[in-house]
Amino acid sequence: MGRGVSAEEPPKGAEPPSGGAVPGGDAPGAPGRGESWERRLDTPPDVWAVFLQARKRDPHIHVGDVHAPDAEMALIVAKENYTRRDPCVNLWVVRAGEIHSTTEDAAEMFAPATDKSYRFGGSYRKQQQIYHSGWRLSHRDEDQ
Amino acid sequence: MEARPQVQDDPELLARFTERIAAGDQIEAGEWLPGEYRFEAQRLIQMHANSEIMGALPEREWIPRAPTLARKMALTAKVQDEVGHGMLLYRVAETLGRSREEMIAELVEGKARFHNVFHYPAETWADVAIIQVFVDGAAMQTQGALRSCSYAPYARVLKRICYEEDFHIQLGLDVWRTLAEGTPRQRAMLQDALRRWWTPLIHFFGMPDRISPHTEKMLAWRIKVKSNEELRQQFLRRFVPIILEYGLEVPDPGLRRVDGEDRYVYTEPDWEELKRVGRNGGPKSAERLALRQRFYRQHAWVREAVHLWAAA
Amino acid sequence: MSGTPPAATDPRVGAAFREWLLRTADDELIIGHRHSEWTGFGPDIESDVALSSIAQEEIGHARAFYTQLAAGVDDADRLAFARAPAEYRHATLVERENDGWEWSIVRLVLYERYEAERLRLLSASAQEPVAGLARTLLREERYHALFADAWLTRLARGREEGHRRVQAALEAAWPEALGFFEATDADATLAAAGIVDSPAAQRRRWEAAVRQVLEPCGLVIPSASPKEGGRRGQHTPEFDRLHDQMTEVYRSDPEARW
Repeated sequence: MGRGVSAEEPPKGAEPPSGGAVPGGDAPGAPGRGESWERRLDTPPDVWAVFLQARKRDPHIHVGDVHAPDAEMALIVAKENYTRRDPCVNLWVVRAGEIHSTTEDAAEMFAPATDKSYRFGGSYRKQQQIYHSGWRLSHRDEDQ
Repeated sequence: MEARPQVQDDPELLARFTERIAAGDQIEAGEWLPGEYRFEAQRLIQMHANSEIMGALPEREWIPRAPTLARKMALTAKVQDEVGHGMLLYRVAETLGRSREEMIAELVEGKARFHNVFHYPAETWADVAIIQVFVDGAAMQTQGALRSCSYAPYARVLKRICYEEDFHIQLGLDVWRTLAEGTPRQRAMLQDALRRWWTPLIHFFGMPDRISPHTEKMLAWRIKVKSNEELRQQFLRRFVPIILEYGLEVPDPGLRRVDGEDRYVYTEPDWEELKRVGRNGGPKSAERLALRQRFYRQHAWVREAVHLWAAA
Repeated sequence: MSGTPPAATDPRVGAAFREWLLRTADDELIIGHRHSEWTGFGPDIESDVALSSIAQEEIGHARAFYTQLAAGVDDADRLAFARAPAEYRHATLVERENDGWEWSIVRLVLYERYEAERLRLLSASAQEPVAGLARTLLREERYHALFADAWLTRLARGREEGHRRVQAALEAAWPEALGFFEATDADATLAAAGIVDSPAAQRRRWEAAVRQVLEPCGLVIPSASPKEGGRRGQHTPEFDRLHDQMTEVYRSDPEARW
């Protein structure tokens, strides 16, 4: 598959393979290696993850955890432990032990191995900017 | 205190780990760690957490005595921040394998360590200014450097802590300025407080590092980021000018800037005192630990009650 | 704008209103002081932090009321720190030492219902700008009550020993809680002027509100006579010690800037 019509040329020598498998069957993350890609967070039962919504339009962001005996108390203490200096309109708490996570090994699964510039208006440069400069995250106001 | 681990690490995992750190990578909670890395990081972070909790004690004595309503609120907020930092740091230490309950029990039983500065008395209102400017300022040097440590949960929490400590120093400078520009009695009180805190401040950064394989490893693993002496010099460069700016005296007559260099020489302090204090033998160590223990025991039924209510 | 609330063209009514505001300011300062003493010693770190915020807000409320009463912020400090103990008008319940976590929680539960009621009366009193101030402060009181109620429930219903201790604290606190409603001439003056209603009516509403949180916890409302005196400046040795400590640095040089 080609890259599609694009006004920009990728920098020399940096062309990713278009489509197809990652070379090298023994590469980490390749199927068959038998390592776990997901797990539950290993946290004590009374630890609650706190998610803060700064303003009405914002997503809830994980700002840290509290120890609390139950959900109501977790919300009550989260207010003063995490919103003293941060704007907040809404809080979530969830037992941290209920959180399921991908493993660190699996991180490279998320990075595009092959060219996905078709998701970026056909611009390979834009794709690289976003993946390598930490700029233009879709959920942050300041990046819009 | 636990002994160093004797477990053999898987050599392949260890090699990969060392490579990652050398490449500037950071480690997240739940990843494989060499036994010694886990031990050292846990000990460092636990001591930091303990220090925040114990650090509340000298300053909180002045909350009831704060001389204006604004100071009363500000000091309460400042000490509250320190207690909150303890909460954040115990959580990080917990990710390395010990429960918060265990660590706090160890602290109140006098078996755990906390930074030297918090073993000393806060004798006057002026001590509040010294603590907020110089003690927090000293902690900032270490905490600021460790923002680039290799254990990501610690690095993240330190960003928040440094952000808040900055406000403390601003508030502290306000009290400092008010006293330094105040009555002769206020200035004298401030100078005296500075005199009493000077040695503990110099001690805070620890003895100049011995060149040892241990130190080398801590630096390579980025559990330690800067040397003790580097941090002490950073502190002196930032804070000695503040003393001089307000016409106060640096309590060490042997302290001076080296000509043409960005470095200070100072009178070598008595390191034995630091060792004694480190073993919880400081002027206020026993009293403060006993106070903590008293409340810890007083609240035992409270802890049980909430646990039972939640379980019902 | 001077410190005297307007709309009180009758100087007697004005004076009565000022006395009412002074009670409010003193109650908030002294209970805020007691709550601030828990900083670093709470039963868990998170609640320690939360109560510390409540303390700061109570002291902040006190400052707002002192500022209304005085000519400005500096004089607010003078009002807070320069009076003799007999000149304070807080209820004696708020000056009592923190006798255990359950004591402070029970006191906070009883106080919050009283304070919320008082601020509502003030908001409705048409005495600007204090009425506007009261409306703002009410927003912070909601959290104080949430915190207090959540703790009361867990202490009183968690286990037998907790229930016993909370009931004992309630028995000890109740007579002086009734002291919130101690009446002086000022109350009659204000009621006659239609600014607020009588202490007896306020007490009835307060008891009904307090019953709503105490009874579900299985707690028994004590029947006891009021222990009064605070509204007339009659305080306990506990307040002498508090006042001594609170004003120690200020008094070391009242003319200095701190």
